[in-house]
Amino acid sequence: MSAMVKQLPVQEAYEDLLQRSLSRIPCDLGRLLYLASTRDYNTGTYHHDGLADRFSAKVARSALEIAHRQAFHKVAALSLEHLVRDLAAYLESSGENPEEFLRTWQRLEPYRIAIPMDVNPTVARHFASNVRLALAVLRLRREPTHSDR
Amino acid sequence: MIGVWGALAGAVVLLLVLLAWAWAEAWSKDSRSDWGASNQEPGESVEACSPEIVSQIFSAADSKFISGLESSGLENLFRRERTAVALHWVHETSAFISKIMRRHLEASRMSADLEIATEARIFLQYARLKLYCGILFVLIGLLGPQRLAGTALYAERFIQRIGEGLAEFQLAAHLREPDGSESL
Repeated sequence: MSAMVKQLPVQEAYEDLLQRSLSRIPCDLGRLLYLASTRDYNTGTYHHDGLADRFSAKVARSALEIAHRQAFHKVAALSLEHLVRDLAAYLESSGENPEEFLRTWQRLEPYRIAIPMDVNPTVARHFASNVRLALAVLRLRREPTHSDR
Repeated sequence: MIGVWGALAGAVVLLLVLLAWAWAEAWSKDSRSDWGASNQEPGESVEACSPEIVSQIFSAADSKFISGLESSGLENLFRRERTAVALHWVHETSAFISKIMRRHLEASRMSADLEIATEARIFLQYARLKLYCGILFVLIGLLGPQRLAGTALYAERFIQRIGEGLAEFQLAAHLREPDGSESL
């Protein structure tokens, strides 16, 4: 009976990841970017030293992939207003100069790296489009002539 | 006399619809080439677009939020972005429906006991969905996506239902085949 209620290793690793690493990140976008950064750009496989030590490289890889997809779908489904708040929180937590941050994000579009593999193309487009809009809103709010209505 | 005016009005409406279609198609093609992250053919996605995302794409709440910021530049950007994503969704959906139908036709060809009534019903549903996509495509081009949330969600639910129905039909047809049980 105890074996039946015992969690699967991937689920255990996933919960470990949520508790130890992701809970420290203050916003959904930050969690998404963190998870995307654990993916190798050349091979598309995920790696996390701590998680691989506690479980195994294979289990850690699966847990990271699941967490990445979930984080992506959560951010993609956010309302624009919520995404603007989340992006503002991410910007603040980054400690970077806001002007420089906004300009770089608008030019380089680094958030495209956050899209998981084989995701529905419409969802991917919607995500990138929403981030573009959120950046434009934050830019507008920083203009001296604009006061928040 | 009324007949002539009626015909003229009809021709003008038809011309407008054709122009809207051409414009939406051109926009959709542009937006497709803009997206370089995927090499997938339209309709070949391994993942479905959830109703939650569809309602976000057509969301009036987002439009209201942008309007509240009182910036015409931002409103134009929002309209362009959302129209492009909505047209992309219709294009993907239409391609997905065609893919389901192709698979169904392949399965039907191998089936020994075709039911004409069932086939006719499936074809009518397919034609209805394709027509829905065509109408949505033109209406998104004419009105923008925010006024079409209800229609888009209805189409999404309808497609899911038909997709499930066709999958069950294919499974049943497969099981009826003499060697169907071996490959399952």
